[in-house]
Amino acid sequence: MQFTIPMLHSAITIMTPLLLASMGGLFTELSGMLNIALEGLLLMGAFCSIIFSYYTASMILGTLLGIVCTMILSAILASVTLNLKANVFITGLAVNLFASGMTVVLSFALFANKGVVVFDNIPPLPLLGTPELAKIPILGDIFIGHSAFVYLSWLLLALCYFVLYRTPFGFRIRATGLHPEALSSLGMRPNRYRFASFLISGFTCGLGGALLTLNLGAFVPNITAGKGWIALVVIFLGNKKPIGLLIAAFIFGLADAFSNYAQGALNIPSDFILAIPYIFTLLAMIGSSIYANKKGAIES
Amino acid sequence: MSEKRNPTSKNAFPTLKESIGSLLIVLIALSGVIILSFLLSKTPSKTLRYFFLGPLQNAYYFGNMLNGAIPLIFGGLGISLAMRSGNFNLGGEGQIYSGALATTLFALYLAPLGVVGAILALFIGAFVAGGLAGLSGYLRMKWDTSELITSFLISNAVVLVVNYLIAGPFMDPSTSLIATRKIPESFRLPVLLPPSSLSTALFFALVAVIIVHIYLYKTKSGYQLRMTGLNSRFAKYGGINTRKFIVLPMFLSGFLYGLGGGFAIYGTYFSSIKEFSAGMGWNGLAVALIAKNKPSMVIPAALFFSYIEAGARSAMLHSDVTFEIAAIVQSIVFFLISSEVLFTLFEKKRRYS
Repeated sequence: MQFTIPMLHSAITIMTPLLLASMGGLFTELSGMLNIALEGLLLMGAFCSIIFSYYTASMILGTLLGIVCTMILSAILASVTLNLKANVFITGLAVNLFASGMTVVLSFALFANKGVVVFDNIPPLPLLGTPELAKIPILGDIFIGHSAFVYLSWLLLALCYFVLYRTPFGFRIRATGLHPEALSSLGMRPNRYRFASFLISGFTCGLGGALLTLNLGAFVPNITAGKGWIALVVIFLGNKKPIGLLIAAFIFGLADAFSNYAQGALNIPSDFILAIPYIFTLLAMIGSSIYANKKGAIES
Repeated sequence: MSEKRNPTSKNAFPTLKESIGSLLIVLIALSGVIILSFLLSKTPSKTLRYFFLGPLQNAYYFGNMLNGAIPLIFGGLGISLAMRSGNFNLGGEGQIYSGALATTLFALYLAPLGVVGAILALFIGAFVAGGLAGLSGYLRMKWDTSELITSFLISNAVVLVVNYLIAGPFMDPSTSLIATRKIPESFRLPVLLPPSSLSTALFFALVAVIIVHIYLYKTKSGYQLRMTGLNSRFAKYGGINTRKFIVLPMFLSGFLYGLGGGFAIYGTYFSSIKEFSAGMGWNGLAVALIAKNKPSMVIPAALFFSYIEAGARSAMLHSDVTFEIAAIVQSIVFFLISSEVLFTLFEKKRRYS
């Protein structure tokens, strides 16, 4: 199986936006909010980072500004949901609709183009790793030579674990989801922690989105193609634990990488290949709810 | 997942509070169009004139606007039924598309049967769409799988499969469109307002509104459905089979979407064209939200959305903005429509003394 190693290598690149988006989603989920806006936030991050990278001619600055835009959108989402007391599900849909409409409207206004916009001045993302490290058999081939986003996502995952399980802030985020009344009885405001968790999901989605477009050097309408929804499923499949996210995101990355290879190798219609993530996600959802159901039946 | 299900009052017709709230949101959304036009367009006044007056300027545009409301009425009714029972149906896109394809294929196959064949094909399409939505309801009933996510995922996969079927095995090679063969002339509904494509499907949509209204407010099953949605536990203690009212409303919801797809074929498109229904499913959801899940309000809400779409299309043709501006207006509506605060702004403060 000579294609396994390149496949594992590309699985890691593919899983990174999922891992980043699901990390932010984990914060909102633990604070008791179903954040379906991950999709729209990723798309906003993807669009804004490449636009700003193009205008500032710096990928770092572009990514940072892209993250800022995504956080502004998530702050709007949070304040409408929390202060105007709206249904988080419907405001989340609003973010998704807004992002898919706004990216096309802006791309038409700026470049008179509603389709794929290719940016010539954006160089390919630098790949990290030294030749010595890359020589390590198998592991070197799989783990070395990714962009900075990949390694950053691992660092952030460790940070995410530390914040959630080792800091008062993390305890309060989790308490907000489990028992908001307990938090308010101690004089703290649960909505503040919810707001913070929305901002965190804006940050990670901005970063994840930046990887999608900068990796390609182009913006494709609806480039996220359901990745935000899959990130939501990654959270459920990962049992709402940081390490679980890593495993679940890797499984999806692998499935995606495999379907890319299958498209080339086997003669399967491309529509069916595109449908695989959704069907896979659906089966995973059903499986995990059957499991939760059985577990619930035993405990009660 | 402990999200709050959509709160709706139990009245059949909207209260003053709800009407003012909805009107306010419509106004905010429309002012969004004005702001965007000034920001993005080089000729904002021209853009705005075509946006707001374009859909009304002649019989062609006006008829097409009314015609665009038909699938939205069906979708809005379907979503209202699901939401009233406390279920979310996010699969409208796939349901309307697959219903339309099934109706088209069976209409071609059943052409010799005449009117009977047309009715049969329409209901087969509706059953296919209803089955897809019902499957999500079944999964929720059986294992408590979130119907909101499964209906979305099933729909996304179904859209791709329908795309494949239209572009692959059922494609009509004689046209340049990616589409199936056209249904027989005898199956097509008469045009009401030539040269627009407004057809008599409009009457069927209005009949559907009346039927859904009667079902929800005048039948035992409709009462049980609403009670299950208001308080499932209470309904269960009252002896209502609440499990039934997870699957049935989801099925009916998809069924109505399927009818919407079928009538779009019989009245407007005559063949399943690739991605012809894209966006109709989401608009149906938006219609139900702004109508506060009341069948009587689905008609004005659907007209509002088809007006926005027609306006955006006219502005795109005659000016320098794109059609997607309509999606931004919708998103503003979505942002605000479920806000409790906006709907209580005009409520008199009650004194509890």
